[in-house]
Amino acid sequence: MASQRLRTQRRAVSMASAASLDLGRLVQEAEALASVLVTRPTGETLLTRDGRRVLEALNLGPPTARMIVACVSSHHNMTGDGAKTFIILLSKLLRGLQAILDKREGSPFCEAIQRSKRDQKHCHSLKQISQSLMTFQTHILDHIMAQDLRKHFLSAFSSWEGEISRDTMESILEAYFCGRIGNSHQKLLSQLSCDFYYRCIPFKNGKNEMLDLVNEYFVELHSAVTGLPVSNSRILEGLVLHRDFAVYCPADGDIRMLILTESIDSALAPPGLEFVVNAEVQYQASQVWITKRTEAMMKHLQNNNIKVLLSSVKQQEIVIYYAKISGISIVECLSSEEISLLCRTTGISPFIPTQDNIRSEISETMIAKFCRPLVLGSKRYVHLGLTRTCAFEPHCVIFCGPVHGITEQHASAFHGAFKMLQQLFKAVDLSDGCEAQPENTNNTSKTVNDQQLKTSMAETEKQFIDSSSWVDENPSSLIDRGSSVREICNDAMTAIENTSTSVVSKQLDAAQEYWKPGNPIVPFKFEKSYKHTVQSYTNLVIQAGSVLPVGGNFEILLHYYLHSYAKQCQQPKITVISTVIADALLSIPKILYRTTKENSFTQVCFKATSALQTNQQLPMHQQGLESVYCKYQLVASVLHCLTKLLTIDLIIGIKRPPQKTEVNDSEEDL
Amino acid sequence: MSRIEAKKPSLCTNDPLTKERVSFSLSVLSGIVKSCYGPTGRLKQLHNGMGGYVRTTSQSSALLGGLSITHPALKVLTASVQNHISRFSDCGLFTAILCCSLVEHFQRINFAACTVTKISRHLLSLCTDYLKSEACGCRVSVDFDSIKTLLSLVRSILASKPACMLNKTEANHLSTLVLKAFLLTIPHTIETNVVLGKCVIIPVKGKRVMDSTVFPGLLIDIPEFQFARTFPVKRVSSSAIKMALFCISMSGDLSNIGEGTVIVHHGISLEVAVLDQLLNLGKQLVNDQVGLVVCQKVIHPSLKQYLKEHCVITIDRVGVSMMEPLSQMTGSQPIAALHSVSPTCYGSLKDLRTESFVSKHFLHLVPNDTLVCSLILCNRNEMAWDELKLACQTAEHVLQLTIKQPLALLGGGCTETHLASYIRHKSFTLPTSVLKAIDCSRTQYQLVADAFCRSLECVACCLEHDDGEILTDMVYGHFWSVQSGFPSDCNWSDLVLKCGCGIYNNQRNLNWTVLRSQYIPFAPQSCSNEPSINSTDHLVLDCFTAKCSGLQVAVETANLILDLSYIVEDQN
Repeated sequence: MASQRLRTQRRAVSMASAASLDLGRLVQEAEALASVLVTRPTGETLLTRDGRRVLEALNLGPPTARMIVACVSSHHNMTGDGAKTFIILLSKLLRGLQAILDKREGSPFCEAIQRSKRDQKHCHSLKQISQSLMTFQTHILDHIMAQDLRKHFLSAFSSWEGEISRDTMESILEAYFCGRIGNSHQKLLSQLSCDFYYRCIPFKNGKNEMLDLVNEYFVELHSAVTGLPVSNSRILEGLVLHRDFAVYCPADGDIRMLILTESIDSALAPPGLEFVVNAEVQYQASQVWITKRTEAMMKHLQNNNIKVLLSSVKQQEIVIYYAKISGISIVECLSSEEISLLCRTTGISPFIPTQDNIRSEISETMIAKFCRPLVLGSKRYVHLGLTRTCAFEPHCVIFCGPVHGITEQHASAFHGAFKMLQQLFKAVDLSDGCEAQPENTNNTSKTVNDQQLKTSMAETEKQFIDSSSWVDENPSSLIDRGSSVREICNDAMTAIENTSTSVVSKQLDAAQEYWKPGNPIVPFKFEKSYKHTVQSYTNLVIQAGSVLPVGGNFEILLHYYLHSYAKQCQQPKITVISTVIADALLSIPKILYRTTKENSFTQVCFKATSALQTNQQLPMHQQGLESVYCKYQLVASVLHCLTKLLTIDLIIGIKRPPQKTEVNDSEEDL
Repeated sequence: MSRIEAKKPSLCTNDPLTKERVSFSLSVLSGIVKSCYGPTGRLKQLHNGMGGYVRTTSQSSALLGGLSITHPALKVLTASVQNHISRFSDCGLFTAILCCSLVEHFQRINFAACTVTKISRHLLSLCTDYLKSEACGCRVSVDFDSIKTLLSLVRSILASKPACMLNKTEANHLSTLVLKAFLLTIPHTIETNVVLGKCVIIPVKGKRVMDSTVFPGLLIDIPEFQFARTFPVKRVSSSAIKMALFCISMSGDLSNIGEGTVIVHHGISLEVAVLDQLLNLGKQLVNDQVGLVVCQKVIHPSLKQYLKEHCVITIDRVGVSMMEPLSQMTGSQPIAALHSVSPTCYGSLKDLRTESFVSKHFLHLVPNDTLVCSLILCNRNEMAWDELKLACQTAEHVLQLTIKQPLALLGGGCTETHLASYIRHKSFTLPTSVLKAIDCSRTQYQLVADAFCRSLECVACCLEHDDGEILTDMVYGHFWSVQSGFPSDCNWSDLVLKCGCGIYNNQRNLNWTVLRSQYIPFAPQSCSNEPSINSTDHLVLDCFTAKCSGLQVAVETANLILDLSYIVEDQN
């Protein structure tokens, strides 16, 4: 019984590593400048080099693999990059840990043998590893970043005001697009996104607000045209609304516009009201009155020099008719996102057509330089030249390509680039709480980073549970998964019989509690040794706009400093963990330099290490730059995913989908 | 509980292009498109094996729409050709053939995909720069003062669709009609924003092609019983009829009640109230001297009757598609109110006549300013008519594109061979700095350039389906074909008559060679200062915009397909 459990637990790790190893191999191949064609169940084809897309399209079966994919997706959603590196790093880490567990003798994670029963030994060491990882992530990583790596960072800004020069921007974007789209259009897209950035940004300090807006409304800010060569992709001034005019009356000069969210024409009996007809004449009179009212409203708009109505609802034909007579253009059925984008960029709120405001002046208007039809492909849209009122100079992108797959790929890479830029301008600092109370070593730093991680963790957990539901629904799939799952099931049964509580839930609870800030659990007895590191923290781990040259520089640096940290570290567990992580990090430059002949990996690594030993600048091989924040975030996400994987000791197949209420409960616990 | 099914894991294939399945499907597809190309192209019959409609065609839009392609890589190819067709209507087969041959030729040289991509992108930019430059030797500018080039353009399109079953006279007749119809849609007064009118194609099947004709204005189908008793019409003057256009229902139904409740007392009829309103409207129309009432939806019979008594003609149920041309042509604004209609909304017509064709009767709305015209298109049978309609629409679209960019490319294979010899010459004399920028060796570049040129020439060769020999001259780089069965001992100059596009006749010094043989690269001369451009009646021309875009799309798509290293197929 005991040995069986041990086997299952080991299998959980090897399954996780096996699943990720498969992914890793695939993604490595995908990274070698190759693109992948993905077909969807709907029959449409999609071209991509995006690791997340590929992983999601694979529809992987094993639950651990699905959890990994969910982690990758949430990381990618946040930073717009790094899906492939994520998998490579994770698989290397798992392999490294597997090797430690296999060795067993002399490993610091196996010292607890005497104290615990034999059957719990493996579980115990896994847990210890995961706890050490957690400590590493929250304390040592930041420390090394702040102390050692920081001096190597370059700043993307050319001056103190946070301006970023075009050359720097181009090299950052080029490096980004390198991994995301085919090399034939890489240049074009980086130029396009660079142009877009500089044309949208109205003044120096508006970049964060602008990037937030672009990322939030990216769907509204781009249009795709198929059947044209990619070189026709361009940036347009103003916004493109994805609707045609219901009425178009050409107008010149400054055009006053209104936003509407309800119909101008009122019905005979609006919802919730009763209309009593006493006589035929009365009915006719009320119809006439309604028409007159609509006419008066349109006259009122005309008198206020309103030229365009932008409506989220469909307007009655009578409104269209009077609009045409009064020379007012109407665009109707705009999506709620388009309306909110318009409100955000112009700072106005929708107009409410009531009897009361028919006499008063209309104040909530916006001014456009032009408002005209635009033909894109076979569709007619509305092209709106808004004058800016916020930190976003309205522009939009048109992606052209022979097929939908290409325009889609370019749009998602473009969006990813702006997500990446958003991350680039973020800074990581240590929480004040951490510094003020150094005795509370277990307090996880409350940086933006951790907050994000937590929400993403909750999300992925939810996704994971949601997506896992179907497998449990289908009993045949359980059998298909072979003996391992059956064993896990048996094991779970006996576990429930033999022990009072479920092991799984206990483990999960422990992991979740650990994430609570300020929880008094002390995972290590080496409290004191951490104190000095905490105190030596400086305020900023990563400054906004920190960049490093591409080509594995970040990984080599982190590897070097982790190794030297491990050498002087007093705690055997942390030493082992640091070494494993440091070695895994090297796998990324190893893959990057696999194909080039001149800069073989060993040479690059040797040069870099000798430069570091003599305190010289790192040799640069490529021109591109990448955001340090994204890289840092990636390492943190991978370590977090790994921790999550290791805290699972049983995989239980159940017959019905996990209940939604339970999901909510667990979220509250977090 | 909702039914949830297990998802199947996706099928992942690596290096998809090396697989047997793809190369086989690709060769089938390329065989189909190649055999359809040109005036002597072979026809294809599309049917579903279960009876019903059989389509005979050689046009890419009908062909690709009918094929069901399963392999994802080929789906990308056909999708991009179809997208091209939906943008430009023309040059679909050109794009498809070029793309297939590029994939085949590039696969054969077996370089890393990224090297091929880089070089072919550079070659493409050489092509587009050349085509767009003044020095381009295979394009002619279209002169809108004379109809010669325009007519050649239209004729080339109609002639390259053999499934229309047109003879030479018929093709000439139809080309004139299509061009005439197009010219009618151009507004007389040109403002900053030119909006072209519309040409409505009216099918008349079972009559001779020569019976086809064009009417300015609109023809509206009316039932025979109405045909006999529509006249006389009330006119404002001898050449003006006032007309009202309604876009709401005039059937007397209750509209715009809202979601609340309406309580109607006993003995009160809302229908009567509405009809009352309608008749009042009728009275106003009669008072305003309206002679024709057109409604998008249904008109109540009582109102129809009332209007008829007052010599007002009514046409209802014209449908939403006719509303824009109607309002464009007559200047009337669609009315959406049943009372107090503003007189500014009325439009005017020059005349109202009746026409009948075979068994069909039409009311002919003759406008003051044309903008809208009706093309009565006749052909002997249904299948040929469908093909002809498509060809006429393509021609109309090409004319619209040409008015935007008044250029045309030489047809009949001459552009392809000329471009190929230009690229051969360029790649031979490429400076080393360019090679360095692309990061490839000269041999690599020349091999890819050769595959590129062969693919272009392959498109030209597809024009010949009868085992003839294809030649090119070493001066202009044009396309010359020789019929099969020539004696082996004679000179090429004794056999050739005219080049593919029809610019050049047989001249002494042209130095012919077989197209796909090895020859020394030369700089092809331009045809632009050739006097025969304007004097020759029967040039073969292609749409410039469509062909340029088709070339780019074909190269981009081929690169895309070659670059694929994995296919992940979702099997759910």
